[in-house]
Amino acid sequence: MLKVDTVSVRRGAALTLQDVSLSLAPGRTLAVVGESGAGKSTLIGAILGLVRCASGQVSWAGRPVSDCRPALVMQEPRSAFNPGMSLSRSVMEPLVARRLSADPDRLDRLCRGLEIPPDLLERRPTQVSIGQVQRVGILRALIATPPLVLFDEPLSALDAVTQKHTARLIADLQAQEGFAALIVTHDLGYAAAYADDIAMLRAGRIEELTAAQTFVEAPQTAYGRTLRDAAFALGALGRAA
Amino acid sequence: MTISVSGLSASRSGRVILYPTAVDIRPSERVGLVGASGSGKSTFGHVLIDTLRAQGRSVAHVPQSPDEALDPLRSMAFHWREAERALDLAPDLARRQALFAALRIEGGDLRKRPWGWSRGMQQRFVIAMALIATPDLLVMDEPTSALDPVVAAGTMDLLQAFLSDRTTSLLLITHDLGLAARRVSRLMVMDAGRIVEDAPTARFLSAPETPAAKFLCEHRNWLELPC
Repeated sequence: MLKVDTVSVRRGAALTLQDVSLSLAPGRTLAVVGESGAGKSTLIGAILGLVRCASGQVSWAGRPVSDCRPALVMQEPRSAFNPGMSLSRSVMEPLVARRLSADPDRLDRLCRGLEIPPDLLERRPTQVSIGQVQRVGILRALIATPPLVLFDEPLSALDAVTQKHTARLIADLQAQEGFAALIVTHDLGYAAAYADDIAMLRAGRIEELTAAQTFVEAPQTAYGRTLRDAAFALGALGRAA
Repeated sequence: MTISVSGLSASRSGRVILYPTAVDIRPSERVGLVGASGSGKSTFGHVLIDTLRAQGRSVAHVPQSPDEALDPLRSMAFHWREAERALDLAPDLARRQALFAALRIEGGDLRKRPWGWSRGMQQRFVIAMALIATPDLLVMDEPTSALDPVVAAGTMDLLQAFLSDRTTSLLLITHDLGLAARRVSRLMVMDAGRIVEDAPTARFLSAPETPAAKFLCEHRNWLELPC
């Protein structure tokens, strides 16, 4: 279980995260929403140990998070891959780094789950569509069976239809694999449809942390309502007639 | 005066991207053009703009990202002057103030370069530039996908309020049917270089006819909520 315990992150004189606490159990999905600059990506950095916490602690099953080898899916799929390497070589890197070998059955099953045709992996990142690169990014994250997967805006580079399709594939794989998913997104529609819980960050603090359904039906804070109304205004969420 | 064009087409390296297409848009009408990536939506927008300009109609274009519209080395004041000059207009402080007020960017410092403004303000500045001469048609290509949702919704609201008492027509090009459905009264679907469906929004959403339209309708929102 992921535990983030009163974590603060300092940048110069300002706190970019302030007393953030949350927990996430295996198989569950937590969406972190909030405006640009709220500290969403800093939170991912703090969990991964890429950003030093000024105070507070992050742990997985009582041990440092790095021990559980979490995986990260990045926002810009093309720049998350080495353009000079074939996709298959990039996908294998998490295994190579740990001197593990690929289980062909697992690779095959993940590829089928992510709708990646076998020959696609022999191409370079620039030779496939953006939706395909992002699915390969998810494959790379899952290849070494991480118990915790962090997604930093995983769908924002994709078109509206591809977003919904990819979200479905992630959820199906999560049901099979049982990893804990922390998804940073500013799309409340996505969060409402796929997360168990939603944490809303604002200016480095968690202003609201509640079940996804509760959040969209009755946001407790002014900014929560603004976010919900924006999702309606942009058609991300519909009102049933 | 109704915008009416026919025979819009485009091909690249021998491949047809846009088959001959005709379209009519009435004054003040708000039309959405939706379709998958690569279906030819943006090409349609560009060809329509070129054709209308050749006819002497005034058309303005707002691209997806303000980065495409603004030169990072030039001040905002320079951009504004350039836009006026391109339209053969003399500088008019009152006009600028009115547009800035309508799009809530009065607080922006014109001496700064684009990156001195927030992205949301940059995009509203680009929209304000597009509206300088009250064009016959405003073409917006994915105008909000680069913005934070709260900013995006606010920008569309301000634009809609501004256009409500003007004759400028709007063509909103997007792959997001959810967004278009909220903002336009008529929807056209593009599929593989052809407009395959063209209907009032309500009818389109309740009874899509073509496979492309049905597919878009199925993927319209993330969730329908009972509130």
